[in-house]
Amino acid sequence: MMTSPRTSRRRFLRDLGIGAAAIPFVNGLHTLRADPSGTSAAPKRLIVVFSPNGTLPDEFWPDEFGPEIPLALKPILSPLDPYREQMLVLKGVDNKIRGDGDNHMRGMSCLLTATELNPGNIQGGSDSPAGWAAGISIDQEIRNFFQSQKETRTRFGSLEFGVAVPNRADPWTRMCYAGNNKPVAPIDDPGQMLERLYGGSKDRDTVGSILDYVRDDLRRVSTQLSPEDRSLLQEHMQLVRQLEQDIDAAKNQNDLVHPEPDIDPNIELVNDNTPAISRMQIDLLVNALANDMTRVASLQFMRSVGQARMRWLDIQEGHHSLSHEPDKNEDAQDKLKRINVWFAGELAYLVERLIRTPEPGGRGGTMLDNTQIVWLNELGKGNSHTLKNIPFVLIGGGAGFATNRALDLDGAPHNRLWLALAHGMGHRTLETFGTAKYCVDGPLDLS
Amino acid sequence: MANEAPSFKVQPVKSPLPTNTGTSDGNPLRRHKPGPDPLWSLPPALALLTALLGLSVLSTFCSAAELHPGSEIFRKQCASCHGAEGQGVAGEYDEPLQGSRSLSSLTRLIERTMPEDTPESCVGEDARQVAEFIFQEFYSTEARKKKGLLPPIEIARLTVPQYRNVVADLLGRFTPVPGGGKRDAATDQDPAVQPGLSAQYFQSEGMSKADKLKLERVDPNIDFDFAEGSPGADITPDQFAIIWEGALSAPDTGHYEFRVKTPNGTRLYVNRDNTGTRGKLRDDSSAAGQAALIDAWVSSGELQEHTARVFLLGGRQYPLRLEFFKYKEKASSIRLEWKPPRGTWAPLDQRHVSTARVPRTFVVETPFPADDRSLGYERGSSISREWQTATVNAAIATAAETVARLPLLAGFKDGAGDRDDPIREFLARFAAAAYRRPLSTKETELFREVLFTGATNPESAVRRAVILILTSPHFLYTDLTPQNEAPDQYTIASRLALALWDSIPDPALSDAAGQNQLGTPEQIEAQARRMLANPRTHEKIRSFFHQWLEIEERDLAKDREMFPEFDESVVADLRHSLDLFLEQVVWSDRSDYRELLLADYLLLNQRLRKIYDPAVSSPPAVAGPENTDPAESDETHSPATTPPDSFEPVVFAPGRRAGILTHPYLLSAFAYHNNSSPIHRGVFLTRNIVGRRLKPPPMAVAFKNEDFPADISMREKITRLTRDKACMSCHSVINPLGFALENYDAVGRWRTRENNLPVDSASAYVTDQGDTVQIQSARDIANLALGHESAERAFVTQLFHHLIHQPPAAYGLDTAEELGDQFRAKDFDIQNLIATIAVISAGHGIQASNATTESK
Repeated sequence: MMTSPRTSRRRFLRDLGIGAAAIPFVNGLHTLRADPSGTSAAPKRLIVVFSPNGTLPDEFWPDEFGPEIPLALKPILSPLDPYREQMLVLKGVDNKIRGDGDNHMRGMSCLLTATELNPGNIQGGSDSPAGWAAGISIDQEIRNFFQSQKETRTRFGSLEFGVAVPNRADPWTRMCYAGNNKPVAPIDDPGQMLERLYGGSKDRDTVGSILDYVRDDLRRVSTQLSPEDRSLLQEHMQLVRQLEQDIDAAKNQNDLVHPEPDIDPNIELVNDNTPAISRMQIDLLVNALANDMTRVASLQFMRSVGQARMRWLDIQEGHHSLSHEPDKNEDAQDKLKRINVWFAGELAYLVERLIRTPEPGGRGGTMLDNTQIVWLNELGKGNSHTLKNIPFVLIGGGAGFATNRALDLDGAPHNRLWLALAHGMGHRTLETFGTAKYCVDGPLDLS
Repeated sequence: MANEAPSFKVQPVKSPLPTNTGTSDGNPLRRHKPGPDPLWSLPPALALLTALLGLSVLSTFCSAAELHPGSEIFRKQCASCHGAEGQGVAGEYDEPLQGSRSLSSLTRLIERTMPEDTPESCVGEDARQVAEFIFQEFYSTEARKKKGLLPPIEIARLTVPQYRNVVADLLGRFTPVPGGGKRDAATDQDPAVQPGLSAQYFQSEGMSKADKLKLERVDPNIDFDFAEGSPGADITPDQFAIIWEGALSAPDTGHYEFRVKTPNGTRLYVNRDNTGTRGKLRDDSSAAGQAALIDAWVSSGELQEHTARVFLLGGRQYPLRLEFFKYKEKASSIRLEWKPPRGTWAPLDQRHVSTARVPRTFVVETPFPADDRSLGYERGSSISREWQTATVNAAIATAAETVARLPLLAGFKDGAGDRDDPIREFLARFAAAAYRRPLSTKETELFREVLFTGATNPESAVRRAVILILTSPHFLYTDLTPQNEAPDQYTIASRLALALWDSIPDPALSDAAGQNQLGTPEQIEAQARRMLANPRTHEKIRSFFHQWLEIEERDLAKDREMFPEFDESVVADLRHSLDLFLEQVVWSDRSDYRELLLADYLLLNQRLRKIYDPAVSSPPAVAGPENTDPAESDETHSPATTPPDSFEPVVFAPGRRAGILTHPYLLSAFAYHNNSSPIHRGVFLTRNIVGRRLKPPPMAVAFKNEDFPADISMREKITRLTRDKACMSCHSVINPLGFALENYDAVGRWRTRENNLPVDSASAYVTDQGDTVQIQSARDIANLALGHESAERAFVTQLFHHLIHQPPAAYGLDTAEELGDQFRAKDFDIQNLIATIAVISAGHGIQASNATTESK
């Protein structure tokens, strides 16, 4: 008999030692107490958001670029218009990584790693087969930097969220890498993510809810026993009482600044539920950041070559197939525009949530002020499969980039963008990232 | 006079009261006893009275109104080591002074050996008097019975191994067998199963495909180098896939490591529900790929080694599946290895895999605090905060597993509308299986209705219920039968399953209880005998031997220069050889304990024969000085065609080998890194084989080879080391036994010279009855053990402890003696002994209500 996807994934997580196997009542949740002085520096955070299959250049890129020109958004970015002043749009940043693998594979697996793929047994088109990326991705690099210092260390270090990512693991489905040959799988089940973030407290509540029955059983059983035997059960009763007190204490101790989001963990992971799943994941993501469980997060929509059928937009065709249609196919262009507007809308929801969440610790400002969002894609344009002009959209104040503008950097390797990001997040000793020859001119100057 | 002996206050009583502080005795072995046992004939009110008086009062009774003349001698000369009431003194002689010698034997022992430092101070009439006092007061079974010193059967929680086994079988009971496989009722095995793994070889047309089946066969192990070629006819070398499937047998409980070496793509699944996926191996929708223990589906163009580990319970089979995939890489190869607990890396071979199709077994991995072993065996006698935390965590993990596999366990289709009823039905059956009895009306209501009321969905009700069930005393405690009440049928079934399997009853046993077929000792015995064949029993007996032989945590590493061939693989082979020997002897038809001690053969594979088989290891022409003996070469050998990894009996020259006593694993375990250790060997033989008690050494003395002249023998060194009189009270026993094994070196090879001196293994040994016998070989020790009751009683008692986790005396003071007598009378049949012990435990108390039928 088949196991359902959900159960297998749960088991997978549990086997990693996460979830139910963790000690239920000492779950080490960070509690963000107000910082009465308000003097400590606000935490810097990073969120990477991926959507697949390239963009439509005419509907995406602003007409004018330059440091002094205020940003004016084209239709695809229109849902983000309220946040224009906190946005930086980067054109002319290219993924220059070559070698084994097709452009989709390199587009995906070399995007955050900025290094080549290993040789391997996965083939796309007629390109030579390839394996996993040969290095760490920038989000994990920054994660490790944060985790290496006490002040920036968090319970999870990073969280990888997915929306409608298939279970199969290959260079088209993984963008985060802990190192050479070490892809990090995103979790695309909100129920599973909820369990990972708050599983301990759920279990704690369940255990607390049955202790009365256990006590009744102990009492009833004890009366039939000899005095010597009864003393063991009395000891047991004592332990149950202690457990109850521990549970009450843990409940109070773990009061979160931002309560656990109220989401239905049993949502079915099917294509048509994607919009609901997306919102749940974003809620969980913002919640985890607000509770300082992590300062690095990624949100991966589908995968490279993703074939989501966005029936909620009244589109029946698969996304990837549409992206192959020539520019003159107006119907396809219209659908692709709606698809990318939808992604931008999800991004807008994320931004709005961050704006509406005050920076914890009484420091003033919103979470967006200290959070760097990076929205990206594995291709510049779907039907040409180009790795030039990757549509990079940066939102928020985490890395200290100057915003409300669009820049055309005219073919800069994206390695230099990741150096700029790392430096902006405080990781200033990083001199090269990924393939070293693309780093010679140092970090992009985006301040 | 009475006032001078404060430890023995005299209570004037008219007549000594028979007392009973424990439960009634239902020992089925005692049917030969004439008349109803006085314990049962005691009026209930009187029994209650004596029970209330308790031990403190009862133990002050004297068998006569006058103080025994021996009591003063005991107080002055014995009590400092044995305690005022013979209860023992920590650090001196810490065991209670009790036993089964006759009065005259006890007198002789005291005359000869006591007090330890000045045996001459208590002889003749004094010795007789003090022996009589000891005998009447607390030493003899009769005395202890009179004084109510029957140890109680203490309430016990499940031990840690029991907990893990019970939970595994609890979920296993509801898990369908894949493909509805047919199984032999007795052994739980499918008769059509072959050793090795079922292999399917596919021609791939495109990446990640296993679409054209070209070859099916059974592969004994997985170690292939296809280089740049094809794995079989009609398969192109550039792209193909292979799927291996079968069952892994885990011999022991612990962490198993797996290692796959390949330059290609691979996934290893261990103990996962087999999906049976074929065709497209790339997983675009379902989650099969996520559950892999090792997921290395994407290759990296070079030979890679992937390792992972998994915790498994011994004595069980687990599904195993290995997928392999080549797509346009230059070369291909694959090798699957494992490292069992306390083992070494080795190819996973057909000794441990078969083509059986078995379901996933849920294994609780939650760490538990160790069980109490202060009495030398595991008991569930105490609880602690850590234990409670562990049980709660294990319950949470079990609940998660149950909810995750609910459609499978409750038998409904995922997404089906009518799942509510099957779930309630499942939960009620699950609770009954966990409590090992039918549910009360109230409990039925709880698990079928109450918990579902107000629950957001059935899954959350199941989660709560499972946590409740697994933290309830009905689940956690082994036996809640009230004092002096006869056990009901389900309790009898539960006791049997715990005794033989450390687990819950299987359906056949529960059914027997439900049909009232466990009412008589004969019926219980019939079930016990059926249950012996189950692998769970074999696992429990295997772990008993590991405990009895004290090999659980032994370091066998030896001096590399002296024994270059004695590496980790040899140690692992030796352990397998020992386990195989025990398994073969115990589960043969004769099941003869004597064979364990007297077998003249060893089970050896090629590697071990090179070291231990003189015909292979040292042909006379090139023999070394310490291993020359032409008489060694007249053994029989197994056929030359035997595969190198198979273990075959190699018979040794007469007198050279004596079963476990000379098994190289034990000889090596009880040895130094560079030489034999007569003390380690002697202590082991004294306690576990000959069955004599030893007190702890009076002072800590370490053996240092450099403290002795270089030109004397090991025997001489030990003799000098233990020359002190305080040492010799025990070493007079230990040394002769250890010296008798001086013909075996640090790795258990036969030798006739040691340190360039001829080996002298002969000594005079004084038995516990005071007889002097000459011993000079392992076989002499084996014969000594087989000729003495104390030896078999020690074996019987240790086996009892391991099976029941209670002292045999709690089931009647004579239990160990009677079991020993019966063991001997039944030709030392170990299986019979196991069954008998299980029956004693399971049937305890059933005769309380019909004691008269006992006395025929």
